[in-house]
Amino acid sequence: MDRRSFLKISGLIGGTLGAADLLTIGDALANPAADRNASLPVLDRVKAEPGEDVLIRMQRELVRAMNKPLEKRRWGMVIDTRKCVGCHSCNVGCIMENKLPPGVVYRPVIDTEVGSYPNVGRRFLPRPCMQCDNPPCVPVCPVKATWKRLDGVVVIDYNVCIGCRYCITACPYQARTFDFGENWDNNAAHGNDGGLALQTCRKYEQEPSFEYGAIWHRGEGVIPKSPVGNARKCTFCVHRLEHRQLPMCVTTCLGRATLFGDLNDPTTLVSQQTVQNNAVSLKPELGTEPKTRYLL
Amino acid sequence: MNEKHETEKVSRRYFVTACSALAGGVALGVWGCQSIEQQKALDGTKPGPYPLADAENIIHSTCLQCNTQCTLKVKLQDGLVTKIDGNPYGPDTLWPQLPFATPPQEAVAVDSAICPKGQAGVQTIYDPYRVRRVLKRAGARGSNKWRSISFKQAIKEISEGGQLFADIGEKRVVPGFKEVIKLRDPKLAKELAADVGAIRSGKMTVEGFKAKHSAHLDLLIDPDHPDLGPKNNQFVLQGGRISPDREIITKRFTFGSLGSVNWFGHTTICEQAHHVAFMYSLAQWQGKDDKFSWAKGPNHMKPDYTRAEFVIFWGTGFNEANFGPTSLSPRVSRAIVDGRLKIAVIDPRLSKSAAKGWWIPVNPNGNLALAMAMTRWIIDNQRYDEKFLRNANKAAANAAGEKSWTNATWLVNPKTGKFLRAAEANVGTANQFVALVRGAPVAVDPAETKTPVVGDLDVAATINGIAVSSSFRLLKDAAAVKSLAEYAEIAGLPATQIEALAREFTNHGKKAAIDFYRGPIKTTFGYYTAQAIIILNFLIGNVDHVGGFMKGGGAWDGTGGKPGQPFPIAKLHPHALTPFGIKLTRESSGPYETCTLFKRDGYPAKRPWFPFTDDVYQEVIPAANAGYPYPIKILWLHYGTPAMAAPAGHLQIKMLQDTAKIPLFIATDIVIGETSMYADYIFPDLSYLERWSNPLGTSPVVLTQISKFRQPVTAPITEIVTIDGEEMPISLDAILIALAKRLGVSGFGKDAFAPGQNLNRPEDFYLKMVANLAAGDKPGDGVPGANAAEMKLFRQSRRHLPKAVFDEQKWQAAVGGHWPQVAYLLNRGGRFEAASGAYKDGFANHPWANQLNIYVEPVGSGIHAGKGQRFSGVPIYQEFESFDGKPVSFPKEFDLALITYKEIHGCESRTIGNYAAQMAIMPENFVNLSKIDAQRLGLVDGDTVRVEGAGFKGIFELGPGQAPSKVEGKVRVVQGLRPGVVSISFHYGHWAYGAREVEIDGQRIPGERARSKGLAPNAAMAVDGYLKDVCLTDPIAGDSAFTGTRIKLVKIA
Repeated sequence: MDRRSFLKISGLIGGTLGAADLLTIGDALANPAADRNASLPVLDRVKAEPGEDVLIRMQRELVRAMNKPLEKRRWGMVIDTRKCVGCHSCNVGCIMENKLPPGVVYRPVIDTEVGSYPNVGRRFLPRPCMQCDNPPCVPVCPVKATWKRLDGVVVIDYNVCIGCRYCITACPYQARTFDFGENWDNNAAHGNDGGLALQTCRKYEQEPSFEYGAIWHRGEGVIPKSPVGNARKCTFCVHRLEHRQLPMCVTTCLGRATLFGDLNDPTTLVSQQTVQNNAVSLKPELGTEPKTRYLL
Repeated sequence: MNEKHETEKVSRRYFVTACSALAGGVALGVWGCQSIEQQKALDGTKPGPYPLADAENIIHSTCLQCNTQCTLKVKLQDGLVTKIDGNPYGPDTLWPQLPFATPPQEAVAVDSAICPKGQAGVQTIYDPYRVRRVLKRAGARGSNKWRSISFKQAIKEISEGGQLFADIGEKRVVPGFKEVIKLRDPKLAKELAADVGAIRSGKMTVEGFKAKHSAHLDLLIDPDHPDLGPKNNQFVLQGGRISPDREIITKRFTFGSLGSVNWFGHTTICEQAHHVAFMYSLAQWQGKDDKFSWAKGPNHMKPDYTRAEFVIFWGTGFNEANFGPTSLSPRVSRAIVDGRLKIAVIDPRLSKSAAKGWWIPVNPNGNLALAMAMTRWIIDNQRYDEKFLRNANKAAANAAGEKSWTNATWLVNPKTGKFLRAAEANVGTANQFVALVRGAPVAVDPAETKTPVVGDLDVAATINGIAVSSSFRLLKDAAAVKSLAEYAEIAGLPATQIEALAREFTNHGKKAAIDFYRGPIKTTFGYYTAQAIIILNFLIGNVDHVGGFMKGGGAWDGTGGKPGQPFPIAKLHPHALTPFGIKLTRESSGPYETCTLFKRDGYPAKRPWFPFTDDVYQEVIPAANAGYPYPIKILWLHYGTPAMAAPAGHLQIKMLQDTAKIPLFIATDIVIGETSMYADYIFPDLSYLERWSNPLGTSPVVLTQISKFRQPVTAPITEIVTIDGEEMPISLDAILIALAKRLGVSGFGKDAFAPGQNLNRPEDFYLKMVANLAAGDKPGDGVPGANAAEMKLFRQSRRHLPKAVFDEQKWQAAVGGHWPQVAYLLNRGGRFEAASGAYKDGFANHPWANQLNIYVEPVGSGIHAGKGQRFSGVPIYQEFESFDGKPVSFPKEFDLALITYKEIHGCESRTIGNYAAQMAIMPENFVNLSKIDAQRLGLVDGDTVRVEGAGFKGIFELGPGQAPSKVEGKVRVVQGLRPGVVSISFHYGHWAYGAREVEIDGQRIPGERARSKGLAPNAAMAVDGYLKDVCLTDPIAGDSAFTGTRIKLVKIA
């Protein structure tokens, strides 16, 4: 019996187990999930003026949005391809933030060469989840493990997901990948500490991730631990939004090409940019209504 | 993941699905069994746990995934680093950054940007192949057989020497430090040094010296050549990534404690011609007690990217390498997209930066030709800023509303290569120069502020029988040796394009600048190329102007040299030895002609001399191998890998295996690396997030003042040992302390700084420099102390560090009463001037405001030790040549020019363990080939080819029992590359660093095959045809030639 079957059975018999993931170690619980302040005083220390780093402006807008009820927010992302420098920092930052294993990619960056010498160009295209308003991944889920939240984020309930991967096939943007339970250093030497620190240097991998505001200890084995065995995708870092922090791909974007904010607030950077005449969606003909758009 | 495994998992899922279908209402039941907290978080109704947003889980430090060294915010979970972001106090990662006064409890809310290498740093510090204990060779050098020994034992063995490898059948007696560090008396060292100086200046004969010091001749390497220095010089410290990281403490040890001159950084495999050309182009004439000399200036200037209208990135860019993308990308991207800035990128390869601007695919050997062509066009068309160039001294600059002035009008005697002195023209003293003012000679005192001299620019004359030309005229003549069409042919560009580029560059007044770093200068004429590019900037008078060319905000003095700073580190070294003698690489060792070896050998010298440069990295081991100028006894390689990183560095593998030439070879490294694998002992070092560094500056990309440093963030990976009662992890610093104590040398241990001020622990040294930063550069410039809340946070955020690393009492004791101010800086990861301090009244707020040289007198009057001919004080057109001056040619079959580059996810040799970045983004590198060449050679994407050079067959030996390393890789056919050129990135082709099996204590530790993928192109790079044991080298800057080699590709699969 795997963990999910176990959970389901326990559900059937009306048990209230399943909090195991929260009964975890150390620092995570030392930081109780208290409601955060309505403001971030640090932002008042920086003058809101033209020329300020867009990271600060967007964080201000984020704080404002988070002070509204969930259903009044509508998260959107705009990626300015003119400013995207193809650095992959979003990709790697996302992997480290969400402790993604090999094969699970939330935000690949596609580097394409066009033209022929000497008239050649290179285009860089980060491709996260489009957070569609009509997400093709949602209706195909046989267990309703994925849905669009009121604030526009398409989420996956790892505890419900059965790993059937229908959603992965259904997504026209290849935004979902499957967690096969791999580890990055599976093929490096294993053993006890001796001349080399083979063991100590793996400890960090045991630390949990915080996706969706929960604590996730990955684990393969007889009873795999989510998110191993789940479909996975970009979450707009909702676990960070709740702490008034921008998604990781936004804060670590070197070219400041990734803009994020509340589309329901007409004064936000993302609202202003998303209506520019060079703003486009990927595959608009599919009617998916992406909330991630691009500036060309 | 193998297929079977996957299938099994799939079936499990199907099983579960089936179960839920069968059970009907199960899906509903799932909600019941889930934690309510978890569900709330998923619904977004309640914030979940996120310890990474808490200030007590954050320590600010500084990156070292590349040498840009960005400021970091390091996040910990259960005391382990799990996430790294930019430090929002740092102007390099957030711009404008948070005000420095922001309490860290508030600042924690803001994350700023860091490049993918920085993001992946977690996997550098926690690389499973990190060395933990001291490893001693248990087989021949390079056999990858080791045994771990105790730190104490290792220190004893390298100190005492002896038959250290008798257990593996080596009977030879290995020299220890005690035997090599012969000269111990500081007073005597000073006397000997002074008298060797007298020999060099011709005031004392060797015989006179020998007679005077007959009692001490046994201390010298060679009494017949006292200018080689004491036997202490037979200790050599070769540092890869040592500077500025831990430069100060290792120099203290090498120079002051051991009395050896032989400390080396890595700069000549990096960008030394860039630095040397800047230092001389910005050199100032300085007098002290009537003795005048040229004091070298700073080594770097950068365009004011955000206010300029046109920037040329010459062989560099803003999105890869350079200094560095984290700070450059946001500034340049914004300026371009806002329509304020236009850029051109000169590069044979369509880089990520070239993709954002005007791509100029120059011939890799054509950079100097292009620079000379632009110079010629600008002069011929009078597109230069004549008014700016004519200001011959400070007074003239000030009168003209400028900050800096040039020596363009100063008169040069081409016969001697020296400036005409005012005394020679009967218009002043021997320490003044001469310019013509409306045809009449006038004395020029460069720093003079009262009497402006505005000289005649384009002139030649005969004064007192001496034929002289202005610096500008010499430049003009040098540029005129070829026509624009001839230059265009060499540069491989249409003359019209060169004209268009020069026109655009001169079309924006002072709001244009050229940025470069290593791209155009890694060749034997690199210095002249660098000088020519710098002069192009000077010609448009852009220095210090908003939108022009800037020296950057600089840093606070961490060494304590400023009034009011508490710890003048250099002076706090009682009984320091005075190191003297010729350095092993003959760098910064004065002219060859004044050395006693010149009398013996004449021209050509046996090997090059480098009076104008230092850190000639590729030459250290070949010189030791050649025994020129003297043999060595001990080589200490720190955090470096010359065998992999130097062009033709593979030749050094055989040299390192020769125990007669390098009798004791020790290495400090975080892994068993490509070169440290040949060591007799590898001492484990701490990674960049487990230790201290000295205060660090930043490139001029940042226009405000900035000082940062590394501090221990996470518990050490290396073994914790006890030195003289003090517990600490093994590290470079621990070795210095233990070794110095064992040898009884000065500068470490009890009373190391002054009576009562000991250096027993790393923080005793490093925190003193943080205290200097806190005190500031002048009285009243100090920072506030940390208040009670900040002190509490300081302690709380270090709760995971073992006492061997963090003991507040010990940290406090290192700086005494400065502790609260020091804690204030430690809480912020550095000291940062407010972003508003960048500009003032149309100029840089931190201007150069000093002399700019069109003609460089020290170089122009210096002599090439191989050719016996004078160098040039202005840039001159040259071709690729070996040490004897012969042009380098390649057989016709080598039909492709090799260039190298860096991907943003990699540094040269130390990012292969970054699974989430280098390995995930690009598991192997490629042999990039233009479509046109691929068709000509019948190669397609994915073909495997061997890279062969003249005299290099694409394969090299690694040592006993090792399979050779092959320079083979997959072809990638691209359009964005100049035809005739092959580009190969660094970062791949590893034969160590976890790539291969090693044996430690009899146990086999397998390598990770993925680390050996791809290829390292360096072994295919051309060897100097005269010296035959080292790559081609720039005779002025000592830079190694990464460019210029021609190769052929042999298809093997």
